[in-house]
Amino acid sequence: MFGDSSVYSRKATLSLKISEFEVPPMQDLLIIGRKAPIGPEAVRRMAEALSPEQFTLLKIDHPKIEAVLLRNSLLQMMDEKLLMKIILEESERMISESMVLRSELKIALSVQREVDLL
Amino acid sequence: MNISEIMIPTIHSISSDKSVSHAARLMSQYQMDSLVVIDHGELVGLVTSRDVLTAHPNRIVADAMCNQMHYLLADQNIWEAHHYFLNENVKLAIVLDEEQVSGMITKETVEMKIAEYKDPLSGLYRAPYIQFIGESYLRKQIPFHLLFIDLNDFGRINKQYGHPFGDDVIRTYSAVLSSIAEDQGDHLCRYAGDEFVLISTAPIALIEQYIDLISRPTNVLDITVSAAVGHVNGCEDPDFFKRSWRELIAQASLESSAIKAQKTASALPS
Repeated sequence: MFGDSSVYSRKATLSLKISEFEVPPMQDLLIIGRKAPIGPEAVRRMAEALSPEQFTLLKIDHPKIEAVLLRNSLLQMMDEKLLMKIILEESERMISESMVLRSELKIALSVQREVDLL
Repeated sequence: MNISEIMIPTIHSISSDKSVSHAARLMSQYQMDSLVVIDHGELVGLVTSRDVLTAHPNRIVADAMCNQMHYLLADQNIWEAHHYFLNENVKLAIVLDEEQVSGMITKETVEMKIAEYKDPLSGLYRAPYIQFIGESYLRKQIPFHLLFIDLNDFGRINKQYGHPFGDDVIRTYSAVLSSIAEDQGDHLCRYAGDEFVLISTAPIALIEQYIDLISRPTNVLDITVSAAVGHVNGCEDPDFFKRSWRELIAQASLESSAIKAQKTASALPS
């Protein structure tokens, strides 16, 4: 008989991180590359399922970008063409065809008025 | 021949929320190059092997499919399908039978079938093609001129110079006729051995020039060739559209035979 003093064991260590799931997870806008793993229709369906009637998908004619998902409230505050021009100008420098970019876009209105005193 | 006779009768479908990689697996499993996309019983698109190759495999079918579908009817003939594919510049169409999807048809299949109707010697279409054009014009009430062109003394050319030379004459003469037809976008076919049929919508003055040109003795491969031309003028006959294709072709061929007989008689010593 062999005296075997070694003990064989298998253990697993679990690490759990819990945080709040932000709804919706896509913030204000998503910029979808032409060869991204998730396409515009899937993004539209996802947005519609998570936040019904709060996002609009705009398909565009661009060599790298296929579409942009925008929060409707942004479109109510700013002209669509102007907004898209700014988004494309800024994002096309860093996006590749296979990427989906997420962006936060806040619009702050700054007003200064001068009035005559009575 | 109708589309239903050459279409792919088996259709496999997928829903638009499935992944592109799933579509690829189905295509491989069914050995098909395309799948129709059906959502809740409604046809919404078509996904082809090309779409699957170019899209990211994680994408859903809705983001890879083509939703501009093209339809042909099962009882349309292959010439109509041929024209449709050429005009629309598409490669695949869904076949409907009484408003139900009954199959698919590819441009390639139609072209292969059409090629069987091409005369290998002259490169021209054969009689079924011109019949399709003629019947189609009659149905749409488009007036046209029908020329039945019958080479004179072709049997003598074969006997005097041999059949291979006769074939060369047919080939060269076909090219001459094609150049006339191509100029006007007309339709030409080799109807039978030494007989050709031309359908034209050109004005009568031009048709008269055609007839004059074709009837006149022409030098082909160092021999003189002429033809008798029978002409049916659909622009002047008030009952033209009441007549069948068969009646029109009979009239034109009889007219060419009469002209030929007349020429032979006048050539005989009195």
